Amino acid sequence: MDYKVIIKDVLENNDIGPGDISECYGDEVRINATALNFKNICLGLHKINRSPVMMLFASDERAGRGVFVVTAVFMAAKYKKWFFVNMDVKKESPAFDSLSKEIYSATFFEREIKEMFGIEPKDHPDMRRLNLHDEVWPEGAYPLRKDFNAGAKSESAGAYEFKRIEGEGVFEVPVGPVHAGIIGPGHFRFSVAGEPIINLETRLGFTHRGVEKLMEGKDVPGAIRIAECVTGDSCFGHSLAFSHAVEKICGAKVPEGVLAARAIFLELERMYNHVADIGGIAIDVGFSFPSNHAAMIKETMLALNQKLTGSRYLKNINEIGGIKKNLSAEERSYLRKTLVQVLKDFKDLKTTLLDSVSFMDRADSTGVLRKKTAEDLGVVGLAARASGIPMDLRKDFPGIYDKIKFNLMKQDNGDALARLNVRLSEFEGSAGIIMQLLDKLDLQAVEPSGAKMSIKAGSALGYAEGWRGAILYWVKLNEEGIVERCKIVDPSFHNWAGLSFAVLGNIIPDFPLCNKSFNLSYPGNDL
Amino acid sequence: MKILIIIIQVAVLTAIAPLISGIIRKIKNNIRMRRGTSVFQPYYNLAKLFAKNEVVSENASWIFRVTPFVVIASAIFALSLVPLVNAGNNVNYAGDILLIMFTLMLGRFFLALSGLDTGSAFGGMGSSREMFISSLVEPAMMISIFVVAANASSTNQYLIAARGHVSFSAIVAGIALLMVTIAETSRIPVDNQETHLELTMIHEAMVLEYSGRSLALIELASHIKQIVFFTILANVIFPIGAGLAVYVVKILMISAMIGVIEISIAKMRLFRAVDFLTFSLVLSMAALVISAAGL
Repeated sequence: MDYKVIIKDVLENNDIGPGDISECYGDEVRINATALNFKNICLGLHKINRSPVMMLFASDERAGRGVFVVTAVFMAAKYKKWFFVNMDVKKESPAFDSLSKEIYSATFFEREIKEMFGIEPKDHPDMRRLNLHDEVWPEGAYPLRKDFNAGAKSESAGAYEFKRIEGEGVFEVPVGPVHAGIIGPGHFRFSVAGEPIINLETRLGFTHRGVEKLMEGKDVPGAIRIAECVTGDSCFGHSLAFSHAVEKICGAKVPEGVLAARAIFLELERMYNHVADIGGIAIDVGFSFPSNHAAMIKETMLALNQKLTGSRYLKNINEIGGIKKNLSAEERSYLRKTLVQVLKDFKDLKTTLLDSVSFMDRADSTGVLRKKTAEDLGVVGLAARASGIPMDLRKDFPGIYDKIKFNLMKQDNGDALARLNVRLSEFEGSAGIIMQLLDKLDLQAVEPSGAKMSIKAGSALGYAEGWRGAILYWVKLNEEGIVERCKIVDPSFHNWAGLSFAVLGNIIPDFPLCNKSFNLSYPGNDL
Repeated sequence: MKILIIIIQVAVLTAIAPLISGIIRKIKNNIRMRRGTSVFQPYYNLAKLFAKNEVVSENASWIFRVTPFVVIASAIFALSLVPLVNAGNNVNYAGDILLIMFTLMLGRFFLALSGLDTGSAFGGMGSSREMFISSLVEPAMMISIFVVAANASSTNQYLIAARGHVSFSAIVAGIALLMVTIAETSRIPVDNQETHLELTMIHEAMVLEYSGRSLALIELASHIKQIVFFTILANVIFPIGAGLAVYVVKILMISAMIGVIEISIAKMRLFRAVDFLTFSLVLSMAALVISAAGL
């Protein structure tokens, strides 16, 4: 219980007694704060755990307890704990003390709370709306409140104000939201002096579908299908994080074979995405040969997914407590055989890229995200590891990964090349993980239906290290197993700010390369 | 008779100019293990564009409308001056190589203006980059051409071509001019014709506002400009052999070279193009020294 020693000071200074702390599921520590000490506790936990605000969200409990609840979540990898700080906010003119001036990673969460619930983060430096665009959303519409009337149309035509950078020779280049390639929509506002970028402001939210609202009122089997659709390149990661949360609430004992099979699928997802990004990085610097090579490997991976699960993007395979389909002996040997072949192809691809002077010249020292900046912004996952932050949920909260050997892939330079290198080594690492899982674990023991369990009411945090980084789901179920509130945090939500800082000082033609080296999700961010 | 020959030359070369682009694309696709589109795809594109309506920005002035015609006219005029078959056809008063260069620059000047004309951020970016590149291209281009001109003691291409053999200095100048050609035809490593990334474009960004017929004219002009450069390389720098068959072989060889170069390297950083083009300038100067030494 050594985490208690660490947070003792924080709690004592803020009058938190033992009655206000509870420990759940072995990895969650929940602290009940008040409006007076919420901010101080958050600052304290942020500082001692060196954790960004991993989640900060509200929920509407006016129907039951007559209040809104605001929850901040911090990660303490060292103690394998998640710290939750809960605070009740009264329902009349709701407000709370903003954390943003002290912790940058709270900024976007607080803007989200403001627009979704109408809870005011007092003293927040930037109160513009985030995903609900003024052009279409009426003033005073708070969609995540339970009494929100969906379908109400806006007549307002407000406009978004971009930050203005002024000075001699400074001009703005607006790009998007419609881009020339087949990618998601996002608006980028560059302020440039000649070619070098002075400021980049990203305006997202064009793919806001109201996923969290859609989740509410769904039963668990329905909700997991929605989770798969949050972002199309991380279907399995999202469904895994969601199922993890529900399994924690219901106390399901998930068989090891299921966990292993899920880990295999998660790694397969990582592999196809990483190789696609490697190809994407190559094409963004006009190096088309390796990019075509990577496309071939990606296609092999997708065909493999199809063969194993019936879905190229690993949809509809994960279930609460189990997986829908076991991997037969034949499929396992096919998986093994394909991976060997893919690794051989991948080695050629890697050599082509790393041996090309012209390619290395483009990737090296482009789009540097310094470690300190990454820490301050709360960047997670692959981008964090490329900037020298050793953060990987597969190491921090291992679960089944405890049983296998793999390295945390870390780079120190934080440039596009570092992010490429992390991908290159993680691709091979994932193949190694899958091989070990196939060797060690008895997949035959997996029963497709999975664990027997009964639905309980409660709330829990589910997480998975998707290929971009930590995918977090906070799920609250009622007695009938209906989702009351589901907060989703895709790694992209943390990392978009990282991109804005990484491009500073780079020239405009290098932006696509920087962007691709992060490859963040629009729908995952916009929800 | 001379007029007739020139008209036939322009007609034939204009007709095959898009084919050269199609062939280069085919070569690249084959190396990339792709089936790729037919070599006639550039024709289909042009046919499609000619059949389409145009969208013209409200802010566009007469420059924007006039530019496609200036560009295509300058390209065709340049085409009428290059020596296609180097034996015979000695048109003494035409075929001055400096005239070709300046004619092509006129087209570029108008393109850069029209990029600025509509006030779009991309057009301005494209124009500024195009002028930046062309300021580096022009000296190298001029000097490498002066090398062969000095060898023949004339800037008339027909006289240069009539020499019928290649001196060492011309080979060095040819390499410099090949690098210039890569930049002039917006190819990797300087520019990338295939890219969809508007932020990295140079030539494409400049013409981003064009559509329909105007775009077709500009694209056709680019194909023609490409064949002009290839022809200069083939017949002025390396005037060996006579007849159409030799010419076709030489053009195909240049196309293959360009295709392979495009596949083998990544595009350079924008400001790294300076190094590339400076190297070309140094080569051309070296060629001039070699030429002065009589080799």
